[in-house]
Amino acid sequence: MLAYTAKRLLTLIPTLLAASILVFLFVHLIPGDPAAILLGDTATPEEVAQLSAEMGFDRPLYVQYFIWLGNVLQGDLGTSIFFRQPVLSVIGSGAETSILLASMTMIWIILIGLPIGILSATKQGTWIDQITSSGAMLAASIPTFWLGLYLIMIFSVTLGWFPSSGFPSLSDHGGITNLRYLLLPSLTLAAPNAALIVRLVRASMLDVSREDHVRTARAKGLHPTRVAIKHIFRNALIAVAAAFGFTFAALISEAVVTETVFSLPGIGRLVVQSILRRDYPVIQGVILVIVVLYMVVNLAVDLAYARLDPRVSLK
Amino acid sequence: MNTLIFFQTAFAGRRLATLGFLWLVMITVAALAAPLIAPFDPLEIDPVGRLAEPGWPNLFGTDHFGRDTFSRAVYGARMTVIIGTGSVAVALLAGGLIGMISAYFTRLGHFLMRCVDVLMAFPALLMALALITLLERSVFNTILVIGIVYATTTARILYGMTLKLRGEVFVDAAVCSGAGHFSILFRHILPNLVSPLLVQASFIFAFAQLQAAALDFLGLGLPPEVPSWGNMLSEERIYVTRAPWLLIYPGMLIVLSVFSMNLVGDALRDSIDPRFKDDIAGV
Amino acid sequence: MALLEVQDLEIAVRTKGKLLPVVQGVSFDVDDNETLGIVGESGCGKSLTALAIMGLLGGTTVRITGGNIRFDGMDLLTLSDGERRSIMGNRMAMIFQEPMTSLNPVYRIGDQIIENIRQHQKMTNAQARDRAVELLSLVRIPNPSERVDSFPHQMSGGQRQRVMIAMALSCDPKLLIADEPTTALDVTVQKEVLDLMADLQTRMGTAIVLISHDLGVISETCDKVAVMYRGRVVEAAATENLFTELAHPYTRGLLNSIPVVDSDVDWLEAIPGRVPTLEEELTGCAFHPRCALVTKLCATTVPQEIEYKPGHSVRCHFSGKVAP
Repeated sequence: MLAYTAKRLLTLIPTLLAASILVFLFVHLIPGDPAAILLGDTATPEEVAQLSAEMGFDRPLYVQYFIWLGNVLQGDLGTSIFFRQPVLSVIGSGAETSILLASMTMIWIILIGLPIGILSATKQGTWIDQITSSGAMLAASIPTFWLGLYLIMIFSVTLGWFPSSGFPSLSDHGGITNLRYLLLPSLTLAAPNAALIVRLVRASMLDVSREDHVRTARAKGLHPTRVAIKHIFRNALIAVAAAFGFTFAALISEAVVTETVFSLPGIGRLVVQSILRRDYPVIQGVILVIVVLYMVVNLAVDLAYARLDPRVSLK
Repeated sequence: MNTLIFFQTAFAGRRLATLGFLWLVMITVAALAAPLIAPFDPLEIDPVGRLAEPGWPNLFGTDHFGRDTFSRAVYGARMTVIIGTGSVAVALLAGGLIGMISAYFTRLGHFLMRCVDVLMAFPALLMALALITLLERSVFNTILVIGIVYATTTARILYGMTLKLRGEVFVDAAVCSGAGHFSILFRHILPNLVSPLLVQASFIFAFAQLQAAALDFLGLGLPPEVPSWGNMLSEERIYVTRAPWLLIYPGMLIVLSVFSMNLVGDALRDSIDPRFKDDIAGV
Repeated sequence: MALLEVQDLEIAVRTKGKLLPVVQGVSFDVDDNETLGIVGESGCGKSLTALAIMGLLGGTTVRITGGNIRFDGMDLLTLSDGERRSIMGNRMAMIFQEPMTSLNPVYRIGDQIIENIRQHQKMTNAQARDRAVELLSLVRIPNPSERVDSFPHQMSGGQRQRVMIAMALSCDPKLLIADEPTTALDVTVQKEVLDLMADLQTRMGTAIVLISHDLGVISETCDKVAVMYRGRVVEAAATENLFTELAHPYTRGLLNSIPVVDSDVDWLEAIPGRVPTLEEELTGCAFHPRCALVTKLCATTVPQEIEYKPGHSVRCHFSGKVAP
C-alpha cells in the first residue's frame, strides 16, 4: 500500500509541475508589466522596480518560473493588492468556511444521493424509478444560485428558520451551532451533485445487475434486498466512489456561486471578488491551491479505488 | 435520412423526452423570430412603469428599469441558442480534433493527451474563471471560455471512441485499399461517431447553459446590457421579495431548457452503439 | 414419484407487447441419483427451462405461462417467494456456463461459499469457513485452507468452476442443475469437471440436470437424454437407446455433426439452415424447413408426441423412417 502510494505520488509530480507552469504563465498572459500587475494601480515606480528585480522579471521566463516556484514551495504566494497581506493567509482565512461547506455538502450528497439512487435502480421501470430518475435529472438542471435565492426567500425571509447570509467561525460566539449558517448553502450546493450521484448509482447498479455473478447470488436463495446491497450496490460502488472524489474536489470551486449567493467568507467568493478587484496575486494563489487540492483528492480516490476493487493490484 | 431514423427510434415511447424536444424547437423559433414575437424593445427603459406585475401588455411584468420582461425573455432565448451552439461548436471542433488525432497518431497523441490531463486538473468553473480574468466580457469570449472548458472532456471522450474504432476491420480495409490518414480519420472513422457526438453535444449544450448562467450571475459572463436569462436573474435578484416574477420567469426558462436538453441527450444515448455509451459524459 | 417432475412447461417472452412462446409443452422427470441431459442448439429453450426450474427467470419479460414443476413433492410454481428462496441454493442448486464471470469479483471465494452456507444453515462464521475449506478440498482445489481466501481473479477458469460446484454442493442439494458447465473450459479441464460431477453424484446421490449443446458430453455422463428443438422436446430416451434407435431426424443431424475418431468419414455433416428466430411464424413441425424427410404434412401439422418404443418418445410424423 505504502509503495503504491509513493508510486502514485511520483506520477503526480509531472502533472503538478505542468499545471504550475500554467498557473505561473497566468500573470504573464495579462497584457502589461507583470510587476505592475502584481502590485496594482497604487504602486509607486520604485515599488514596481523593486518587485521586478526580486522576481527576476528582466530575466528569461524559465528563470522567472524557478524563482516563482522556489517562493511557492516556501509558502510564499505573493502579496494581495487589496488586503496588503500574504496571499496564503488571505486564502487561509477562507479555508474554514470552504472546507466546512464542502464537507456538509458531501454529507448531504451521500445521505440523499445513495438511497434514492439505490431505490431507483431496484425499482427499475416502475413509477418510483421514473419519478426519482427524471426528478434527479430535473434537479441537475437547476442553476444553484436560483435555487439558493428561493431557499433564502422561503426559509430565511418568510419562515425565518435559518440565517440568510454570512458565516461566523466555529470559534466565535455560538460555536458548533454556527453550522446552521451553512445548512441552506450546503443543501443548495448538494442538490445538483446529489442528483448526478442518483443518476450514476442507478446506471452503475443496472449495469452490475446484468452481470453473471448477480444471478449466482440469486441462485443462493438470498433475499432480493441483500442481493441489491451486498452484490449489486457493493460492486457499483467502485464506479460511484470515483465520482465522489471527483465531486468533492470540484465542490471547492463550484462553491463560488453558492458562497456568493449566501455571502459566505469562503475561498470561492474570494476568487470572484479578487477577479472583480483585479487582485491577480490572490487569483493566481487560489487557482494553484485548488488545483493541488484537486489532484491530492483524486490521488486519494485512486487509493480508495484499490481498496474497493481487489482486481486493482497494489504493486 | 439515417439521422431521422435515429431520432425516431430514440423518441419512440418517450413522452417526456419528446416534450423536451418540442420545447427546444419552440426556443429555437423564438430565438430566430425574436423581433417578431417580442412586443417591446428589450432594451427600452420606462421609468414610470417600473416593477409592473405580470398582466397586459407586459405578460411577464417589467423590471426595475421598466423594461418588458417577456420581450427580454424572448431575446434571452436568442442568447441561449447562440451560447449553446457556439460552445458546442468550439468544444467539438477543438476537443474532437485533438481527441481523434491523438488516438490516430499514437506518439503525438500520447503527448497531447498528457496536456489534456493537465488541463483537466483544473475544475471546470475554476478554469472558466481563470480564462475570464484574462478576457473582456463579450458574447464571443463567453462562448470561447465555455467551449474551451468542455473541449478537454470532449477530447478525452473522442480519444476513447476513436481508439475503439481504430482496431476495427473496416479501418484495416481502408488502410489496405490505400486510403490516406485524412481520409481514414474523417471519411471512415468520423461517420461512425456522428450519433455519439450528437449525444455528447446535447449534454454539453445543457452544461454550457448552466455554466453561462453562473458566469452571468457572478457578473463575469455576458456584458450586463445583453438580455440573457442569466443576466436577468443577476440584475433583478435584489427584488426577489418585491417582484418575484422577475426571477421566476427567467429561472424557469433556464431550468426547462437545460432539463429538455438533458432529456433529449438521455433519449439519444439509449439508442446509440452501446460500446460508446460509457464514454459519454452526461447526466 | 420422481424427485423432479416437469409437466407441460410453457415459457413466453414479452417483446413489443406480444407474448412469444419460447418453451412449449416440455415434460420430463428426474429421479434421485439420476442424470438427465438436455441437448439442443443455442436458442432452443434449454437454458430457460433450467432457469425456470431453479426459479431464476428474471424480471417481467420472461415468464412461465403454463404447466407445472414439482420438486420433492412440492408444487414449485405455487410457493411464495420466501419458500422458493429457502429451496434455492439449498436443496436445489445451479452452476452456470461462465465460470469467469459467475463469481463476484470483489469478495473472497471463501466468503461467497460461506454466504451460501449461512443463508440456509445455522452455523457460526468459523464453522461455515471450515465447511467451505472441506468443500474446496472435495472439489480438489489444492491448498484449500489457503485458497479459501483467494479472490476469483486469482484463479483459473477450471478452478472457478470447481468453486461454483463447491458452492452449489454446500448444502447437500438433492438436485443440481448444470447449465453448460464445461462449455467455456479447455477440453482437458472439461473432462476433469465432468468426472468430478459424476464422482460427487455417486458419493452423494444427487440428481443432476445437465444442459449442453454437446452430444458427446451428454453421452458420457447422462442416464437419459431429452433433445430440444425450438422450445419442444422432440425426442427423449435412455442414453444408450437414443444412440442405437434414434427416431427423430434432428437427433440424427446432431449425431452426424459429432467428429468420431478412427472413422473413415472425410467430412462432417452439418444440419442445413439454422434455428428459426422467435419472430418467424412457423406452422407444422418446427424442424421442417431443415429436414430431409419433409412432406406437406410436416409443414401444416405439429407432430404429436408418440411412444416410439417403451421409454422412448418422439415428435415426428416419420419416426420409423429415420436411419440410425
